[in-house]
Amino acid sequence: MNVIQAVKMYIIKMTEESGPGMKVILMDKETTSIVSMVFSQSEILQKEVYLFERIDSHTKWDDLKHMKCIVFLRPTSENIALLSRELKSPKYGVYFIYFSNVVSKADIKTLAECDEQETVREVQEVFADYLAVDRHLFSFNIVGCLHGRSWNQHHLQRCSQGLLALLLSLKRRPIIRYEAGSEACARLAERIKELMRREAVLMDNNIPFNGDIPPPQLLVLDRRDDPVTPLLHQWTYQAMVHELLTIDNNRVSLAGVQDAPKDMKEVVLSSEQDEFYAKNLYSNFGEIGQTMKSLMDEFQKKAKSHQKVESIADMKNFVETYPLFKKMCGTVTKHVTVVGQLSSVVGSRRLLQVSELEQELACHADHTRHLQRLKAMLSDEAIAGTELVKLVCLYALRYEKHAANALPALIDSLKSRGAEHRAPALLLEYGGAHARQSDLFGLQDAAKITKRLFKGLSGVENIYTQHTPLLKDTLEDLIKGKLRENLYPAVGGELLNRRPQDIIVFIVGGTTYEEALCVHQINQSYPGVNVVLGGTTIHNSTTFLNEVKEAMHGQHRTHTRHIRNL
Amino acid sequence: MAASNEEEILEGFLCPICKADLKSASQLTNHFESLHQEEQDVLKSLKEIFGKAKKIILNNDDTDLKETFDRALKFSSQERYYAREEQTVGVSRSSTDYFKAVRSARLERYATETNKLLIRLDKLVCNMPSDPNQRKQHEQEVVPWLDGSSVKLCPNCAKAFNLTRRKHHCRLCGSILCHDCSVFLDLNVAKTIVDPSATPQPETSTAEKFGLRLCEHCYNLVQLRRQIQENRNVKTVLMSAYEQMRSLMEQATPAVEMYEKMCQSLFDGETIYNLSDVNAMRGRIGKLAEGIDLLSKHIASLPVQPGTRQAKLQNSIRQASAHYIKEELLSLRKLPTEAQIEEVRRQRYERAQKQIELERERIERERERREKEWGEEGEASGGRGQQHDDDNPILEQMNIIRDYIKEARKELRFEEVAILEQNLKDLKKEYQLQMLSNKS
Repeated sequence: MNVIQAVKMYIIKMTEESGPGMKVILMDKETTSIVSMVFSQSEILQKEVYLFERIDSHTKWDDLKHMKCIVFLRPTSENIALLSRELKSPKYGVYFIYFSNVVSKADIKTLAECDEQETVREVQEVFADYLAVDRHLFSFNIVGCLHGRSWNQHHLQRCSQGLLALLLSLKRRPIIRYEAGSEACARLAERIKELMRREAVLMDNNIPFNGDIPPPQLLVLDRRDDPVTPLLHQWTYQAMVHELLTIDNNRVSLAGVQDAPKDMKEVVLSSEQDEFYAKNLYSNFGEIGQTMKSLMDEFQKKAKSHQKVESIADMKNFVETYPLFKKMCGTVTKHVTVVGQLSSVVGSRRLLQVSELEQELACHADHTRHLQRLKAMLSDEAIAGTELVKLVCLYALRYEKHAANALPALIDSLKSRGAEHRAPALLLEYGGAHARQSDLFGLQDAAKITKRLFKGLSGVENIYTQHTPLLKDTLEDLIKGKLRENLYPAVGGELLNRRPQDIIVFIVGGTTYEEALCVHQINQSYPGVNVVLGGTTIHNSTTFLNEVKEAMHGQHRTHTRHIRNL
Repeated sequence: MAASNEEEILEGFLCPICKADLKSASQLTNHFESLHQEEQDVLKSLKEIFGKAKKIILNNDDTDLKETFDRALKFSSQERYYAREEQTVGVSRSSTDYFKAVRSARLERYATETNKLLIRLDKLVCNMPSDPNQRKQHEQEVVPWLDGSSVKLCPNCAKAFNLTRRKHHCRLCGSILCHDCSVFLDLNVAKTIVDPSATPQPETSTAEKFGLRLCEHCYNLVQLRRQIQENRNVKTVLMSAYEQMRSLMEQATPAVEMYEKMCQSLFDGETIYNLSDVNAMRGRIGKLAEGIDLLSKHIASLPVQPGTRQAKLQNSIRQASAHYIKEELLSLRKLPTEAQIEEVRRQRYERAQKQIELERERIERERERREKEWGEEGEASGGRGQQHDDDNPILEQMNIIRDYIKEARKELRFEEVAILEQNLKDLKKEYQLQMLSNKS
């Protein structure tokens, strides 16, 4: 199950079905993102696609009757209306129409009636209706999917359709399980089941039944069950770039960076197109530095050996290695710039110090010491307000029920620092103990307590990477067949007597790159098991706090009424 | 080193079994092949080591750079797990049939009507008299005109007919309309609609006098047909240049594959292709690249208004082909030098020679044994003075094939060369066997 491959194959199918000739691809905002996640421009140019147009652009364009037009749209009513208008006065010679999801017969009829010049050759549904971020990671780029405890209807629709498309594109007919304690998860799970029922014929005709393989499982989880993971600072390359520089559809803006090369205001970080990135996105910051150094050394050696271009033979040699050389050169410069920027931020924001306390708060209980260190940091002017907010949030979650809880005082300190002091209370309301069904801090479960003890005995390998996301435990339980049925029931009460091999996890409220790493590790350490992870979006701490704010907007506080100093 | 006290350290191409110094790698392998046949596995590992060394020595040019980078990139085993699954393209569903059914049901109505109009148009323009009166008569013969006596208003604009607003007839459907509501179809245009192959004649007439008076409805139907027709046969300079360029690209891709194959064969020391062949192939790819480059530059420089999509399209085509040339055609593997080839070939030849010798010795031995057993004598007399029999059909065939090869080489059909070379080799072997069996 490789989601990038799945989307790519659909797009290749589109470019091939239209035969040879000059092509233009006509898309909407979302499909543009979907395509750009898996194809670079130069790659798609090689498929004879030379122009990229938006159906909602209002510019009056010249006709290009000698071109073939590939239309790739989400089947929304606005798109149908825009496409009808396009077909009435076609600008291109022939049209091959692909919808990214199920389209109604009525809509096809509307389009057919507009096609008076008989320019349409193909009308199809392909199911590339999600953003493929990595081979095992997808997203819908939705921040703020909930209002209070329930779904924003529009987003619920988008997610259920998107997940149906995911299943069709990967050819899986899963059992759907959801977190019992979350209303949002239950709603989504039921909605997907309903869509699957509606498209039962399509699924049954195309996805063979195979009794030898245990049925795949789609597990719908709630972000509120683990509000800790998105708050922590990460030290693996990909997660770190997202936390400190923000990755948006595989693109990182370096516009604010002072000494960035001119052609690198925005860099693309895609594991499909960038070998260095593919190999190092899960390396930690220290390893990256070393790899980078050895790469630079090699590079310099090569560069130097090529500098003395004296004879014709030298020159020829240089030209022959040139394409490779140039490619390497671009990659190296790009990553040196990015890593340089990361390390300057780490230094200036004292992130090592902050991260250490974050990890302590997330993994160990020691109230007096933690409170003391937290207070010290709150009075340290060198540490930015945003970092302090995260630390107080972590404190609030960990010591929510602690007898000596000093949250109000900490909120006062935040206020005096001019930081976003409402965030901790909102977060408690969003993902406090009342909203969680799992034992996030491992307080009740005897097995977890012993596990923690043993971990403590064996010593901590790296104080900055002690934390493992809750998802890891959940997935391991699921793989071993130990995930409890009363906590994670199946829609329609289907039998769960076999351990799944193919697992799709979807986190309502967004996932993180730390969890993507955890899924990657699980895929590697359990041969035969294949996990794909998705979320309404991929969070860093900033977007996560926005998500919380949006969900809690206009909601009455019911669990944090004792905090009065907001 | 502790060991150095007890034993003298030997260096060089040593045989691991009898410790003899054989001076060179090929001699060592030969020595091994002839004397230590029982230790085949050692031989194999020995060969592997040489193979690796050879590879490193010979391919140290551009692959070297890549290798060092790969090492720096720390090839993790990340791929190992994921590569296993064969993924097929996901589910899709076609609604094309439904779409076309709806469309044709709707268009059928238009189509019959348009066809009727086109038949009339054909009759009208085919032998139209130039004299206005005769023309009118001709027009009325083809299309019965509506009797206008009871029509008081123009059906289109609903204005009353009078002295200044005269009644007119649409020449295709015969209905009545006023002058303001009529549209004129140029006769030349009409001719091209009826017969698309006819080249439009230079404009000699003003539209109104020689144009056909039509009602708006008929005009639209005919125009729509014309547009569809035109779309089918648009062929601009851009199109033909583009098609030419694509066909060059189509030739280039297999040429590059062939080149890689030939190059590899050279590095392996095979004799199917020689260096000049591969160079010729390289030249041909270079020519193709040049052609593609020229055509794409030509496309990019076609006159176009700046800022339009046409301009963008032409630029994109140029960009794509430049990328293609750079990535596919110019990053060819470097050829080995004559000396390197000689070296590899010599090694290979020596090995083969050794093999033959061994074979011969074996046969010889066998014969001796047989001779001893049966006490036969002097069988092999005259075997040395081999008389080349020019009439031998195998030799003749070999000569023919050599000619073919020469010809195929000249025309750069290297696939053929490879096959023919193989044939030639088989024939040679056959011939040698024949000779040997003649001898014995």
